[in-house]
Amino acid sequence: MLEGALLIRRQRVPLGLWGATYAAGLVFGLALAALILVRLGVPAPALWQEFVVQTFLTSQGLGQTVTAMIPLVLVGLGTALAMRVQFWNIGIEGQLWLGAMAATWVSLHDIGPAALRLPLMLALSMLAGAFWIALPLALKLLWGVSEVISTLLLGSIAFFWVQHQLFGAWRDTATGFPTSPTLDAVERLPLLGWGQVHAGLWLALGAVALAALVIGVTRLGFYARAVGENRRAARAAGLPVLLIVCSFVLGAGALCGLAGAVIVTGTEFRLSQSIGAGYLFSGIVIAYLARSNPLAVLVVSFLLGGLYTAGGVLKVFYGISEAMVLLVQGVVLLSVLAAQLFADFRVETRRAA
Amino acid sequence: MTPKPKTPIARPGAHPASGRAPALLLRGIDKSFDGHRALQGASFRLGWGEVHALVGENGAGKSTIMNVATAVYAADAGEVIVDGRDVPLRGPADAMAAGLGMVHQHFRLVGSFTVAENVALALRGAGNNVTLPEAARLLSDRADELGFRLDAGARIDELSIAERQRAEILKVLLLGAGILILDEPTAVLTAEEARALLTLVRALAREGHAVVLITHKLREVAAYSDRITVMRQGRTVLDAAPSEGLDMGEVARLAVGEMPPTPPRVTARPGAPLLRIAGLSARRADGSPALDGLALDLAEGEVLGIAGVGGNGQSELVDLLSGLRRPDAGTIRLGPHDLVGASPARRRAEGLRVIPADRFDSAMAPGLTLAENLALTGVSSGRFGSRWLLDRARMRREAERLIAANEGRGGGPGTKAALLSGGNAQKLLLAREVSSDARLLVAHSPSRGLDLRATQAVHQAIADGVARGMACLLISEDLEEIMSLSSRVCAINNGRLSAPMPVAEVTPERLGALLVGHA
Repeated sequence: MLEGALLIRRQRVPLGLWGATYAAGLVFGLALAALILVRLGVPAPALWQEFVVQTFLTSQGLGQTVTAMIPLVLVGLGTALAMRVQFWNIGIEGQLWLGAMAATWVSLHDIGPAALRLPLMLALSMLAGAFWIALPLALKLLWGVSEVISTLLLGSIAFFWVQHQLFGAWRDTATGFPTSPTLDAVERLPLLGWGQVHAGLWLALGAVALAALVIGVTRLGFYARAVGENRRAARAAGLPVLLIVCSFVLGAGALCGLAGAVIVTGTEFRLSQSIGAGYLFSGIVIAYLARSNPLAVLVVSFLLGGLYTAGGVLKVFYGISEAMVLLVQGVVLLSVLAAQLFADFRVETRRAA
Repeated sequence: MTPKPKTPIARPGAHPASGRAPALLLRGIDKSFDGHRALQGASFRLGWGEVHALVGENGAGKSTIMNVATAVYAADAGEVIVDGRDVPLRGPADAMAAGLGMVHQHFRLVGSFTVAENVALALRGAGNNVTLPEAARLLSDRADELGFRLDAGARIDELSIAERQRAEILKVLLLGAGILILDEPTAVLTAEEARALLTLVRALAREGHAVVLITHKLREVAAYSDRITVMRQGRTVLDAAPSEGLDMGEVARLAVGEMPPTPPRVTARPGAPLLRIAGLSARRADGSPALDGLALDLAEGEVLGIAGVGGNGQSELVDLLSGLRRPDAGTIRLGPHDLVGASPARRRAEGLRVIPADRFDSAMAPGLTLAENLALTGVSSGRFGSRWLLDRARMRREAERLIAANEGRGGGPGTKAALLSGGNAQKLLLAREVSSDARLLVAHSPSRGLDLRATQAVHQAIADGVARGMACLLISEDLEEIMSLSSRVCAINNGRLSAPMPVAEVTPERLGALLVGHA
């Protein structure tokens, strides 16, 4: 008879075990998701086809997954960098909206020569994202306001701002829909000739490489770790704590702003109310699953991108409702998160004598 | 589901002293944590009506074996027999129901509750539905029997540490504990309070209770103990009675493994004046004054001891000196410079070094490796790489050097600082702080929680620095530490500092009077 079980925290987690729990959580979550989808009437063989073959194993499917991955990498990185200095950037959506708006603004007013238009859109989106995160950062530094609340609320404010523009000055007069007019060709990120995959991929990969380098080998990255692990000790040791926190948090906001611009210039080609959908909490999920490690952010974003791609297919071809797709994605993510318990703790069972 | 234990209320004489099985018998206990063998065939025998000192260095397994006894940990092997009955204990609640009560170093009391509410909470949790007035009456009756007073209506966070400890002991007794285990009970007490506690413990033993005192302050408890068990590196190495002509030097040798080196002698050769603090004042968050016009002078090569009961402004003084907070008024002059407005970095550059009371509060990061912690203060000088890039190999070599120089056990450069024992971590912190360019060391309770050997290593490091001409401001609650290192001593009480006196003129009576503010 099983009498009970004890959880014993591991002093350190072996890398192999860490990987194994991720894989096991993923397999368990996918199995559970498959069960739900079969009950909903999706034929079992189609599941394998949609979730694995069509999302990861065919060139076209892989292209879609990579396209979905690009903004996820940027927001995941944006959350992870802020997390490094104990800044919980929950409301990345606000910075994403601001970035998207900044890019749209440049496009609408045709600012700058055509050749520099796209770089200007991207640069301004980063500034806008950094500006939007500077507000909660200032509130936190000056008065200790919790950034969990302020970034979330600023996310809503940003969304209302977007709506205000789309239903007002920026409405596309050609269609009358609340979207901005489509971008000119020079304002779009070039396609790489592989499905919809665009040059935003290089931006995302570059950001990952840069973040990994900064954290891994630079003095600034080391200081950021020290600030994240013990801010008082970092201050007492004479580290420039304020500078480190500001540079990481503003950098995080800039990446989230860039994500907004990349969605507008890479896949949607216009600002609409729906481009931020699905990003609200993906940043924190990715950063947590990746343990704030930039290279792991890339891997997690890729898998999450696959999940989004498959979700889209389920909606369109099998008539699965949006709510059910979210449920299925939630089940998979929750399984992976819950599996972490077995990496962090050892379970010791006790049996009655 | 086990039936809720009906909690008996312990009465005097409930546990006759003789003719019974031992109160607690632990045999062949093994316990590992992730491959680290904390206990290896350890044993412990406790009789009724006995005060039993459990002695050993940090990491010897004292707390671990008692956590096994109270079923906080499950042993890998061995048996736990309580009062002759081999009943498996599946958790702390089972242990409590079997009459085993442990008073941990960090009390299990709700700070915003009164003493009576805490007791009622615990009793109700154990299935005894007392009302608040009943709990208050039980409390005051039991306190009367034991010969002390405790206000049942006082909130816990308004009580002194010693009063909280009594509240915790009473709570555990009222829960029906016949066997009382106190983990380092005197560590947080003044000498006077410690004597009162040990007298209380003797009274409990006379009533028939069995009491375990986990401690590394052997000298303090030996006179009050009927038996002494010594543990070392997870094994029980001695179980004997002081009345059998036990040689305390022998006990210490067994606990440490060999005779510890003699304590360092600090030969003060005060040189040029270095530190001058004047009119230093600061307030706590609630507006009450933490420091009130504090003034002191300190010369090179001198140790000034500041004795005092914790919470009298010591932590604020340390934070003001390290630059983690700003004073409301006053000056801190180090040599020719006023440091009041200076950043921590500037202060470090001037040779100011700080050992805080809690190293993981403001000196080291538990989640960083040793190499990273040891390089934390040196990176900005360019010792570990260029302005932009970090030289991790050099950090590693430096850590290896410091660890080797400090006979470091239990960790290499890549070990997380949190995994190190307190003594080893403190030695490495001192190695980092007391470098050749240190001019002033502010050390706050540098040996708190450390065993004898680590304490001596810490004191030696301070003495070596002082011999090189470093000045040291030693803030401590441990009078022995103050007396052995300082050349002058003053007392801090309620944010005010007494006039310093030469250490030769200090008597316990004079200092005691200053500490409580009657002089």
